Amino acid sequence: MTASFLRRYVVSTALVASALAGVTAIAYGSDHQDTPEVELSPRMDINDVYVFPGSGADRIVLVMTTSSPITPGQSASAAFDPNLLYQLKVDNNGDAVEDLVLQFTFDGADPSQRVKLRGPVKPVQVGTRNTLSSAAPVASGAINQAIASGQGIQLFAGLRDDPFFIDLEQFFRIIPDRRPATGALAQAQPPASAFRNPGTDFLRNINTLALVVELPTALLTAGGTSRLGVWGTISR
Amino acid sequence: MRNHRVPGALLALALLAAGCSDERADPSIFGPEAPNRTFTQIERLGNPLVSEVLLEKRNHGFHNNGTPSTDVANFKGLVELFVRDVAGRNQTVQQTLSAVLLPDMLIVQTNKAASTAGWLSWALADGYGGRKPSDDVVDAGLAALFGTLLSPDNASPRLSSDNVAANDKQFGTAFPYLAAPTQ
Repeated sequence: MTASFLRRYVVSTALVASALAGVTAIAYGSDHQDTPEVELSPRMDINDVYVFPGSGADRIVLVMTTSSPITPGQSASAAFDPNLLYQLKVDNNGDAVEDLVLQFTFDGADPSQRVKLRGPVKPVQVGTRNTLSSAAPVASGAINQAIASGQGIQLFAGLRDDPFFIDLEQFFRIIPDRRPATGALAQAQPPASAFRNPGTDFLRNINTLALVVELPTALLTAGGTSRLGVWGTISR
Repeated sequence: MRNHRVPGALLALALLAAGCSDERADPSIFGPEAPNRTFTQIERLGNPLVSEVLLEKRNHGFHNNGTPSTDVANFKGLVELFVRDVAGRNQTVQQTLSAVLLPDMLIVQTNKAASTAGWLSWALADGYGGRKPSDDVVDAGLAALFGTLLSPDNASPRLSSDNVAANDKQFGTAFPYLAAPTQ
């Protein structure tokens, strides 16, 4: 295959330039480009989900990072996919089924695109086939800027430094099965049985497209308990 | 009645034109806001490392197309198998990891002190839980899988940390918390 032929000439420490083929950008984060379909469409990839206390008492922050790695060279044109539905789902009554969802959609395909957030709302359907809530968006605006809403909800959708850190190169030497099929880390390396010291953060100077929402915790515990289960999904 | 046919034809032409050019497709017809548009999940993520490390690559699609409510039934065996066969750990480690990581959701005990926030702190110390960007989840996962965090038996010390302790950029204390991108 042409791709593997070209790889021999690529400097092993360089990330494969997305110019090689827009589809071979690798997605990292704790969940790296984990299926061939997602490898070919990095914008469909979730990297990480974070949940942590907000800036005041009784506020909570939810983050979903996507599409990493985005190199500095790719950053000027980075945008979310307007054909996808991005969601953060919340179980608040302990049955591992979503009771509330936050739904993010985008209008436009370049950095001038706009984001809309609906929720937290009761999902129209639970499970893997979802439609948009009929609720009006609680926040909307341009990407790459903080957006505030009247309910104490803050939204940011845009480019950020990828917060994940890992010696990914060494990890794939230890467990080669998990390697992506394309890109700089797809090449078979000499196997390793240990991490190196010091390790090298493969994701330094790498960006991600992040969704960040800060809101009153009560909006997520509503109708349920103080114990939440949170996960992110991408759908098309 | 004759007048009704003209708008219909124009609409059909507009749809045709929109369909021929994705970039200019009318989002109210083709975009996510299109009425009754149903989205099918292609990816999901709760805990870090579950799909990426503990499940073989051939099972990642299976995980991506599923929901937390069936995780225990679908993945408990596979997770414990990995812990047993790849990490060589005993039943205590196998069962603790599968119990803590499945269903695959980030667990948050919002009634606990904010100072106790951190990945798996709900399980380890009855704390807030969640996951902060600064948490070294790789080391936490490796310590559980290969280190002595859950059991002293058959630990692999040289696999219990990747020796990368922090992000290359500082996280912020104000919204949106994640560091500015590298330009």
